[in-house]
Amino acid sequence: MDTRAETLAILDEVLGLKGRAARFVDATPLLGAVPELDSMAVVSVLTAFEDRFGFEIDDDEIDGATFATVGSLVAFVRGKRGD
Amino acid sequence: MGLRQEVFHLAAGGGERLCIWRAPEHGALRGVVVHVPAFAEEMNKSRPMVALAARRLAASGFGVLEIDLLGCGDSTGDFADATFDAWIDDIVAAVRWARELGDASIWLWGARAGALLAAAATHRLAEAASVLLWQPVLAGRVMLSQFLRLKLAADVLAGDGERAGTRQLREELARGSAVDIAGYRLTPVLAAGIEAAALAFAPTVRRVVWLEVSAGAQPALGPAALTAVAALRDAGTPVLAAALGGPGFWQTVEIEMCPALVDATVAALMESPHDGVSRDTVLR
Repeated sequence: MDTRAETLAILDEVLGLKGRAARFVDATPLLGAVPELDSMAVVSVLTAFEDRFGFEIDDDEIDGATFATVGSLVAFVRGKRGD
Repeated sequence: MGLRQEVFHLAAGGGERLCIWRAPEHGALRGVVVHVPAFAEEMNKSRPMVALAARRLAASGFGVLEIDLLGCGDSTGDFADATFDAWIDDIVAAVRWARELGDASIWLWGARAGALLAAAATHRLAEAASVLLWQPVLAGRVMLSQFLRLKLAADVLAGDGERAGTRQLREELARGSAVDIAGYRLTPVLAAGIEAAALAFAPTVRRVVWLEVSAGAQPALGPAALTAVAALRDAGTPVLAAALGGPGFWQTVEIEMCPALVDATVAALMESPHDGVSRDTVLR
């Protein structure tokens, strides 16, 4: 699975979207648009990224802008993975 | 097959640890499995799954020992008294107790951060053990960050200006202050022990069974886990790795069960422990 697909799979699993994330595109808004994505869920998603991909996320890297859209989130994960 | 179940207190570290022992009523043991529990709330959420798997393993001929570590569950001591080293001592004491029962091979069964404790314990055991891992935590440092982050969930998305962060909590710990997270008093010494913990097994470990759970359509180990499994195999440790479909029961809001994981666990332990072959098995 590539980074984009893995990221969406994690989003779907952690937020309990039951497959909805498969229809997301880069422009799909997340924070403020997906009701399941509250601050606690953000923490859970970050944890899932760390566990799944093996990179570590520093406090400074946690920003609302990262979760603005699917595109921004995938870009963040790609950057951390060195894609 | 009938099962024996005994609840007893094991003397350890100057106190007592609550233990549950399940074994077949009759016959020689196929093996002895010592469960090494997950950390904090993950332990609580995992209890039903652990109990189910323990009963199924016992029904398949294994003796299974569960232990509440120092300051956890119903054992003596407060959580604030716990240290990583004391927890390793508890596991070693549990293995010693199980050893008295005969020559059956020893399995350490680590769930989540229990995998880190199990790994540390393998270096302290006189005998070569096999290791069963459920969704292992790969590094204590990362898990500690995640635990500290729980305290800051609401602040996490704060834009500019001062906000509390995991770094600040780590600084408090470094200054010698305990921090309270989700009802657990995390002391500097426990935090340091967790921070340093890694999934590094003694070279004597016979084999590793590595099982993970994911909710997607195609369960698979993530990239980080695959890298860790490859490293173990490169070092000469036979690893059976598999992913099962199901919920992340150690972290779900409601208690959830994953029967596929229990089935896979029993199947994996029933296989020959000394075949020395590394392979990935699709366990349904």
